[in-house]
This record gives sequence, C-alpha cells and structure tokens, in this order.
Amino acid sequence: MHKTFLNDLARAVGPGGLLQDPADLLTYESDGLPHLRATPAAVVLPQTTEEVQAIVRLCRRDGVPFVARGHGSGLSGGALPVADGIVIGLSRMNRILKVDIPNLRAVVEPGVTNLAITKQVAPFGCYYAPDPSSQIVCSIGGNIAENSGGAHCLKYGFTVHHVLGVEAVLPDGEIVHLGGAVLDTPGLDLLGVMVGSEGTLAVVTKATVRLLRRPEKVTTLLAGFASIDAAGEAVSAIIAGGIVPAAVEMMDRLTIDAAEAAVHPNFPKTDAVLIVELDGQESEVDELFAIVESLCRTCGAITMEVAKDQAQRERIWKGRKAAFAAMGRVSPNYYVQDGVVPRTRLPEVLRRIRALEERSGLRIGNVFHAGDGNLHPLICYDESVPGQAEHAEQVASEILKYCVEAGGSITGEHGVGVDKKQSMPRMFSADDLDAMQLVRCAFDPTGICNPGKVFPTPRLCGEVPGPYRQHPLEQAGVAERF
Amino acid sequence: MALPLVEPADAAGVAAELKRANGGKLAVTIRGAGTKQSWGAPAPHTDMVLSTLGLNAPVDHVAGDLVATAPAGASLDAVNDVLRRGRQWLPLDPPGSHLATIGGIVATNDSGPRRHRYGTPRDLIIGIEIALADGRIAHAGGRVVKNVAGYDLSKLLCGSLGSLAVITSATFKLAPLPQASSTLVASVGDLRSLGALALAIAGSPLTPTTIELQSPPHRLLIRFETSPKATEVQIAAASSLCTTHGAVTATLTGQEEADTWRAHELGMRGEMSNDTRTIVKLAVLPTDVGEILSRADAAATAQRIQYAAVGRAALGIIVVRLDGDPLAQAAVVSELRREAIARRGSAVLLAAPPDLHARLGAWGPGADTAPIMRAVKAQFDPRALLNRGREPWEAGRS
Repeated sequence: MHKTFLNDLARAVGPGGLLQDPADLLTYESDGLPHLRATPAAVVLPQTTEEVQAIVRLCRRDGVPFVARGHGSGLSGGALPVADGIVIGLSRMNRILKVDIPNLRAVVEPGVTNLAITKQVAPFGCYYAPDPSSQIVCSIGGNIAENSGGAHCLKYGFTVHHVLGVEAVLPDGEIVHLGGAVLDTPGLDLLGVMVGSEGTLAVVTKATVRLLRRPEKVTTLLAGFASIDAAGEAVSAIIAGGIVPAAVEMMDRLTIDAAEAAVHPNFPKTDAVLIVELDGQESEVDELFAIVESLCRTCGAITMEVAKDQAQRERIWKGRKAAFAAMGRVSPNYYVQDGVVPRTRLPEVLRRIRALEERSGLRIGNVFHAGDGNLHPLICYDESVPGQAEHAEQVASEILKYCVEAGGSITGEHGVGVDKKQSMPRMFSADDLDAMQLVRCAFDPTGICNPGKVFPTPRLCGEVPGPYRQHPLEQAGVAERF
Repeated sequence: MALPLVEPADAAGVAAELKRANGGKLAVTIRGAGTKQSWGAPAPHTDMVLSTLGLNAPVDHVAGDLVATAPAGASLDAVNDVLRRGRQWLPLDPPGSHLATIGGIVATNDSGPRRHRYGTPRDLIIGIEIALADGRIAHAGGRVVKNVAGYDLSKLLCGSLGSLAVITSATFKLAPLPQASSTLVASVGDLRSLGALALAIAGSPLTPTTIELQSPPHRLLIRFETSPKATEVQIAAASSLCTTHGAVTATLTGQEEADTWRAHELGMRGEMSNDTRTIVKLAVLPTDVGEILSRADAAATAQRIQYAAVGRAALGIIVVRLDGDPLAQAAVVSELRREAIARRGSAVLLAAPPDLHARLGAWGPGADTAPIMRAVKAQFDPRALLNRGREPWEAGRS
C-alpha cells in the first residue's frame, strides 16, 4: 500500500482515526464467523459522513478496495477484510441524531446498536421492531447491510420494512439520499435493493428508521412437546387457523439443554419447546390466544406456561436468544447455518437433517424461527480433532442443499457473505446472478466496495472507454471477462 | 396507424420479443390492463406495444406457507378469487383491481387504503421473474418469506414503471382473510382536525386496517378487520376516541360498509379519467397532512376549481384530484408541489392534461440520486428501449 495513500487517509480521519499497528488490526481480522480471517492493510475510523466520503474518494483514486464494518457480529463473513484493502470501521459514528415521536421516525448513525434505538424511544411507548438475537451489540449499519430480521419478523417484517431512508457514500465518493422521512420518494427504489446488499453497493452513513408503538398487550406461551413433529403440527395448525403470531420459535432437546446450562430459563425437559407470542390490541390478543392454547393442546402439548409478567417473558426469550452462545456448554465448537424451508416442508427437511446427524456422527442442534421456516442448525464439532471442522462445514453445506431442494433459501438472515457465496448457484442461475450484478455494476463499476462477497464470480462491468486495460479483478486472478 | 402489438403467452415469449426488439433497436411500451398508463411522463416515442395480458398461468398458492406466485397478466381480483378458496388474500386494494394486473401493480407499486396495515407491493413481494432487455430471463428472491440470498431485485422493480425489465410473474406473502369487518366513519369540521384525529387514532393501541381520509366532506374511514369480538370492541373504542376529538361518528357494516368502500374506490380511480383532470399524489410527513390538505383546499377555492382528496391519513399519502380551468389547475399543482417540497415531501402527477404535464413535469425537481438511477437504467436497458421516457426520476421543470 502506497505511503501517499496512507498519509492522505490519516489526514482524512484526523488523529487516532487510522490504525496500522498489527495488534490493533487483529480485532478486524474476522467478524462473527471466526474461521475466516484476513488482515487488512489499515483500518480507518471516521466520525462524520464527510470523513467517509474523503476515505472512499481516496480508495477510488488509488483503486484500493474497502470493507465497511459495523460491530462485527455478522455470521457470514460479510465484513471479512480484503487483503491489501482497508476496513472502514463505523463504530465511532454512533449517535442517535433525531427522534420524532409524532411521526414515529428516528435518524441514526450506522454505528448505533439495534437495541439502543429501542432504549432511546421506550419512554415514549415506542420501539424499533427488527430484533436479531445479537441486538445488544449489532449495529444498524450492519442490519441494513444484511437486511436483518429476528424472532418477530414473522409479523413485523425485516430491516427493509423499517428503514425509510439512508444517506450513503457511493463507491465513487458521491453522497446520495435514498428514501427519507417521507414515504414514496420519487424514483427507483434503490433503498429496497441496497438493504441486504451486504455492503457491496455503498457505505451507509445515516439511516431514518420507522418506530412502532408498543402493542397494548403481549402474551407469550412456552409449550413443551414430546417431539419436534408434534410441535411442528401445532405451528401448522396456528397458521391454518388464520393467526399470524408476532413470533413462533422452536428449540429441540440439544439446544434446550444447552440454554438451560447457560442461562437457566427453566424450560420444560421435553424433546421440543415452542415459544408463541401474540401481540396487539387487548381483546384481539385474548381471543386469538385462547385459540392458540387450544391448538397446542390438541397437537399434544405436554406442558404450557403463559408468561404472567415482563420478567417471565424476558426469561423465556433469554433462553431462546442465548441458544447459540449456549452451545459452547455442550460442544467445544459449533457451526451455524440459517437456511430456510417453506414451512410446509419443515417435517421432511428435519427428518433429512436427523438422518444426516446419524450418518455424520456429528450432533446437530436445532433452534429455529418455526413460523417462517428459518432453520438454525447448530453443528457440533471439536476443532482439536483433525478434519472435524471441515466435516462440520460439509454437513452444513449438505443441509443448505436440503433447504434449496425443498424450495427454500440458503440464508434467511445471516447473509451470503463469503461463507455461502459458493452455494449461490444452487439457488440462482447464471442469468439470475448476472442480473443482480447489473446493479453492482451501476454502483461500483471498478469493484472496490466490499469485493469478493455475495457472488461466486464477479461480473465485469462493461468496457472502459479508451485503450484496453486489464481490470483489477482480472489482474488479481479472481475474475474473468465475460 | 396502430402500433404493432405483441401478447406473448409466457416468459420465454416475452424474452423472445425483447430480444427481437433489442436487435432491431425498437422502443417497447409495456402494457398490462393500461389502468396506469398516465403515470409518469408520457412516452415520447414507441415502436411496439408488449402486452402482458397473455401471461396468465394458474396462480400457485401454498396456503400452508402463506405465499402465492401469480402471473403478471392476471388481474388482482382474479388472483384474490383463487386465494380466497384457501381463506387467504394478497392484501392490496389499489383502485381498479378488477382490471389492474399483478405486473402493473408491481411496476407502479400501487396500493390503496389498506396500505395503512399491509403496506405496498414492495412490502409483500418476496420473489420475481423478469425478462431483461437483452432477452434473458432472470429471477430474484424466492418462495420463502425469509430470504436474504442475493440482491432483492423484486423491490427494485416495484415502482420502476417498466423502465428496467418486463415483470413476468411475482411471488408474495399473503394474509389470512379477516373473519369480520366494520368501518367507523368519523366526520370533522375542518382539515386540520382531520389530520389531528388521524394521528390520535394511529397513536392509540387500536389496530385498524385503514385510516383513510376523504375531503370534502372531511371525514376518516377507520376500518377494523379482525375477529368478530375484537372488531366490535375496537369500533367502540375508536368511536369514543373520535368523539373526544369532536368528530361525529357512524358505524358501517355489511352492505352499507361495502357500498361506502365501493364509492370511495370509484373516487380514487382518477387515473382512468379524461384528459381534463389532474391527479396529483402528495407525500408528506403524517404531522403535515392536515396543513397540506388545508392549503390544497384553500388554493382550489381561490382558483375556483373543483378539488377532492383521498388518502392514507396516518402515512402522509394524499391523492388530490383537480378539475376545471387548466391554468388554474397548474397554479394549484405548483403551489402544492412547493408546499410538499418545503416539507421534504413530493408531489407527483398521476394524470394531467398534456400541457400541464409538459409545463410542470411528472416528478418535480431532481435529486442527488438521479445519476445513480440513470446508471442502473443504463445497465439494465443500455439501449433505452423499455418504456422510454417513463423512467420515474427525470427532473421536472417546476
């Protein structure tokens, strides 16, 4: 990396804003997917949109790839640095700039954590709806990159439904405003495609998010079942009954035991538990909840516990949200996937996973958003056993194959990143992927914005006028010209 | 002379026509039922019309998954007739849904009063199939609600007015059909009170599917669609809230309710009107609704032209219809656009007499996003053959 570039970077971000010391860079080597690592040439920590713009302009000038990073909790390697590139860490841009309760809007910087928004607006009876399990630490910028969901997206949708506008720095250094506080901004819905683009189109520097009023009533049921199949039947019966709960979560025995060991949620000792939450206007919730209870009973619920207060509800959710981390209690290492299957195909796919578990000799825990078929198989392994990590990865890939064969998706919320880009052709044809990359070419024709993510093969973006020059990606040997 | 019209029967047929047009550099106008051809700038020149009405494969409904895939050429009502058999529906209610096609509704991102609860096509679409300008077929999204694999082109296509590709089918998440419905009609004396009442309802624990405004006379249609008991309880609570805000209320159910909504829908269907009226869609913050409606009312009165408005009061979306002297209409539109923009909003023409269109432009002043939108268009349609001139971002001249 040229000294001039680094000097210019240092000037762009001011004192303390440029990290080059190998010890400092360690933090940025990986995101929440620790087995993928790369050391960036430098990390910059801007504090304003203008600083981000100055950084991106320098990258553009010198053809240096950059990777924007929030708080690094992503699970697909979306914030994996590019060697010889820089990381733009947005953790210092962490202010809530504006809260407008009458219009139910907030304007935040990308480094604000998901939960911080809800905390800020809670005194007004409001909250920010998307609630990924990592919400204590994950950033809104990262949520926008990944189109994060959470347990309650069954009813309330994803980040894309709750972000009304962004200010972003494009890879050419221009600042644009997509959407805004007012709905229906004229023009193409570029915001709709930027949310979930995994940081490959721009660096988001501000976001206007939608707030919701707290529902009048929330009722949470924890039901224990003798089998995953019985719990699955209850879910189908609830949906068939015309009820869309706020959340429907399922855990199997292995994850129940792990959660119990880690955070003691006092879950029933059954082979499956279901958490069903209804929210809304009081009379509506009461009426529908009676139906849900009765359906669970009909489908063979062995135990049923209804949260009497907020503390009891929080205890139930703590058990669910801690499930990933808790796997550490029952296995030295685990590999998590987030494939999705159509809800009606859940029993069949779960049977295939059980058969795979027996065949592979690796234990597979299951905790999932049952309402929308989003699996989170946790594949337990021990990295000290030679070859077991690779074996776990193969098992994970096999599960994704089942999901796609059932008409589902390779990822419901963690994103493709580096982790699953080789699985993209299972879901999409070459033409599909090429059409998606038309957007990429419009935003980032030189391929400097988080390159090497999402797509198995980068598309080259047309001929540059003038004499033929080899594209940087061609030089690096990672792409070929179509 | 009538333009050549093609009506392919499937996506492959659409792709073949586009490939042919691309080879011959023919400008293509894409057309569904034609209910929203007045939206956006009028197309300056076209060589052929591609009708999507031939795309009429059966609806693929999986009730247990609450999803369905519908062909672009089917009308929304026809799709919902199929879904109703499984006690579900695609919860969109744009005007003219007996004609308006799935493809057209997606391409315009059109919606109606129930947007208050369910959003627009953009909020419900989970997958799309498109034919690209070069004659290839591409897909994005899928058939599961939760899916973040790849770029979400389905959202990009929503509201793109046919400027990027031809939509051949779309997959949506659905909603269960409600068991009961009642509508509370709340009449108020002035438009500022109307705006305040809408905010009060939206800020209450009630969960209506619509907070729809009408003016004149100034009133809100607040609809509850849930279980029978909850509908009844919420109507009572809403009625009492309206009364404390000085509104006069009436509760409608059954045929009377259906007739009221039918009349409202006919009122909304401005884009099917003649060449003398202007339909302008205003988007403002919810707290600005009362004020901008008052300005519209005052401006129309001062110019002595007819004015009527409907809209999603708690979302800040208002559709104003003007009728009368074209110069006076232009003056009112200019004023409303000024007011809306001053409030960080917009005023977009959905229909207008040709000279008013030419003078004011459909979209209003350009934004910092114009270059990147042009770049996206250039990637998808490098020869600018698809719905040329109707791209939803060109700067107007006001």
